[in-house]
Amino acid sequence: MSFLTSRMTPFIVAVCIVVGVIVCAPPSGEAAKIIALKSADVDVYNEALEGFRTGSQGSTVIEYDMEGDFQKGKKFLAQLKSGPRPDLILAVGIWALQVVVEEVQDIPVVFAMVLNPTTVIGQEARNITGASMNVPIEQQLALLNKISPHVRRIGVIYDPSKTGGLVKQAERVAKDQGVRLITKAVASPKDSFAALDAMQDEIDALWILPDPTVLASESVQYMLLFSFRHKIPVLGLSENQARMGALLGLSFESGRDIGSQAAELAGGILAGKSIEELPFTTARKMRLTVNLKSAGKLGVHIPREILDRADVVIR
Amino acid sequence: MTSCLRAVAAIFLILWIGGFVSSVEASDLKNTVRNLYGSQGILLEPSPLPFFTQESRFQASSLQGLDQLNTQLTSSIGLPSFGSSVTGFTFDLERGIPIRTTESLGPLLTERATTLGARKLDVTLAYTRLNFTKLQGKDLDDLELVFRRGDVNGNGIQDTDGPFSFESDIIRSRLKVDLDEDIISFIATYGVTSVWDIGIVVPIIHVRLKAKASAAIFDQFGNLGGTRIGGLPIHKFGPQSKCDPSVDPPSSTDVCDAAGGGEETGVGDIILRTKYNFVRNAGGLTPDLAFLFEVKLPTGDEGRLLGTGGTNLGGLFIASKTYGRWFTPHMNVGYEINTKDLEQNSIRYALGFDARLLSKLSFDADVIGRFKPAGNETGKHINDLSLGVKWNPLSAWIIRTNIQIPLDKNSGLRADVIPTVGVEYLF
Repeated sequence: MSFLTSRMTPFIVAVCIVVGVIVCAPPSGEAAKIIALKSADVDVYNEALEGFRTGSQGSTVIEYDMEGDFQKGKKFLAQLKSGPRPDLILAVGIWALQVVVEEVQDIPVVFAMVLNPTTVIGQEARNITGASMNVPIEQQLALLNKISPHVRRIGVIYDPSKTGGLVKQAERVAKDQGVRLITKAVASPKDSFAALDAMQDEIDALWILPDPTVLASESVQYMLLFSFRHKIPVLGLSENQARMGALLGLSFESGRDIGSQAAELAGGILAGKSIEELPFTTARKMRLTVNLKSAGKLGVHIPREILDRADVVIR
Repeated sequence: MTSCLRAVAAIFLILWIGGFVSSVEASDLKNTVRNLYGSQGILLEPSPLPFFTQESRFQASSLQGLDQLNTQLTSSIGLPSFGSSVTGFTFDLERGIPIRTTESLGPLLTERATTLGARKLDVTLAYTRLNFTKLQGKDLDDLELVFRRGDVNGNGIQDTDGPFSFESDIIRSRLKVDLDEDIISFIATYGVTSVWDIGIVVPIIHVRLKAKASAAIFDQFGNLGGTRIGGLPIHKFGPQSKCDPSVDPPSSTDVCDAAGGGEETGVGDIILRTKYNFVRNAGGLTPDLAFLFEVKLPTGDEGRLLGTGGTNLGGLFIASKTYGRWFTPHMNVGYEINTKDLEQNSIRYALGFDARLLSKLSFDADVIGRFKPAGNETGKHINDLSLGVKWNPLSAWIIRTNIQIPLDKNSGLRADVIPTVGVEYLF
């Protein structure tokens, strides 16, 4: 017994600290109950949840991680139905949204951190709205226009089954901005090569869409190669693509801000607004990367205004 | 949450078992070698007049030699550290989907920079076997110590002729040491946030130390029995030499065998650790970076060879990066402070990789080293090769196996190979 008293004291203290960290205080009060279903434990999702919590101070947010397992997510939602009904479900990430779309029809749902949400929920889901990760099309096209007023024809490769809706919307926006989209539909990554070659004399810039078919690594590499060969600037989706050689990379700024947007939508629903009054949002803060090495190779001058606005400049 | 509480309860259960399961056979296992011939070293039998009384002439030399060997043996016993598997996700910004990073399950004895993930609990039960065979390159079952007597006539040298030539007599002691450890480690790692882990390692140790010595007196020419005058030995063993009567008949005066040792079981030194992953998924060539801090508490009884008796503080800088979603080289560099004996402070390092071989099978290889800048020659610089395999047979279960092979057996207390097997569960 002396062992426990003399040698274990520091350890017991340490274990108590560990237990204290593990055991969280249960929620209480009459605040709105929000179930947050997280697709997986990913930094950017956790940031979004933090942003959501910060923007939902009056509500109780109970988080559940489906760990990338659809069956786990479905099982959790099935258990949820047998208990007290939550006021709202937050689906963080596309996997959580996919599970929620299948399993939940009678509870308001807000999603966050989902790219191209209409591909998951269609146009008619009456109980779902949310904050997408998509960057507003207007801003992307305007950015290309600011790089060079001579950019009048913008090339786009897309898979109609994945981003057909997005392209239609983009065509409308392009028309409003006085530019033309030159689109080539593909069904597989391999089709991208021929599609690109076919448009080499028809476009002034190339715009990479968040389209899973087009984003196969061999397709992206070919697009960047195409860009250098034909001196056509590329607008990419991320800093990573800019580092790979795209002239520009434009993405959402942070998961926290997307979460904050989702919290605003949730607040509207809990305040009594209908889903129809709260359409999907796109990212309101952007992160811009400019690759000056690529600009040099393409012979493109980047205006000071763009450089001042850029979050990352690759020199 | 229930699983977390279960894990904490399991820790207490293990501590309770470890605290009460102990052998009564040996209470001072640490000093087994030092005390082989009693706590005063080798004492000889007093010589009859007119010779000088000789009983304590080898005492200081034997005490010093046995104590040094004892320290070399016992200060080198240690516990390997364990890293937890990382079974998380990273995020593909362009596609907007998480990507599994479980392709490689992580190394066993070294660390990757990535952390477990928020509110994840990883629990591992591992078994390690250490059967020590070498000390500074010498076989543990064939060690030799030579004890020299002091200067009798005060001329500052050990005479080789004349009436004091017996000053050159020696006692040569051959020792056979059996030293092995079985360690069952309970390891729990909890992800406090997505980038911050805390963890604990609770080792239950069974240590067995048995030593046998056979000492014999020789003269300067190698004749057994030492110098004799008039047929009578100047130096001889006797009852107060604490020889083992079951081996040596009382009539034997020039050879003295002794044996000692025992076994102990109990909780070893508990390790508390925390890891903070301050750079992750930075893109480009920037690796994931983390810092690990660990405290080894003196919970293991030093006298029973279950612990070091001091608190150790260690810091480890970790860098790793996954290429192609299957290959992850990693590097660990750190410093460990031994608050009890600063000469044992050491620089720790590891360089290696882990790689996915099949969808649920990964392999890791590392060179693990430790350098004691202020240490003595025993174990001053050691390097081991660590090879391991992890298998993920079911969703949250991982089976681990590992062998650690000394790259240089001439430094420190070494085993030929150190096998470890374990099972891990991620809540």
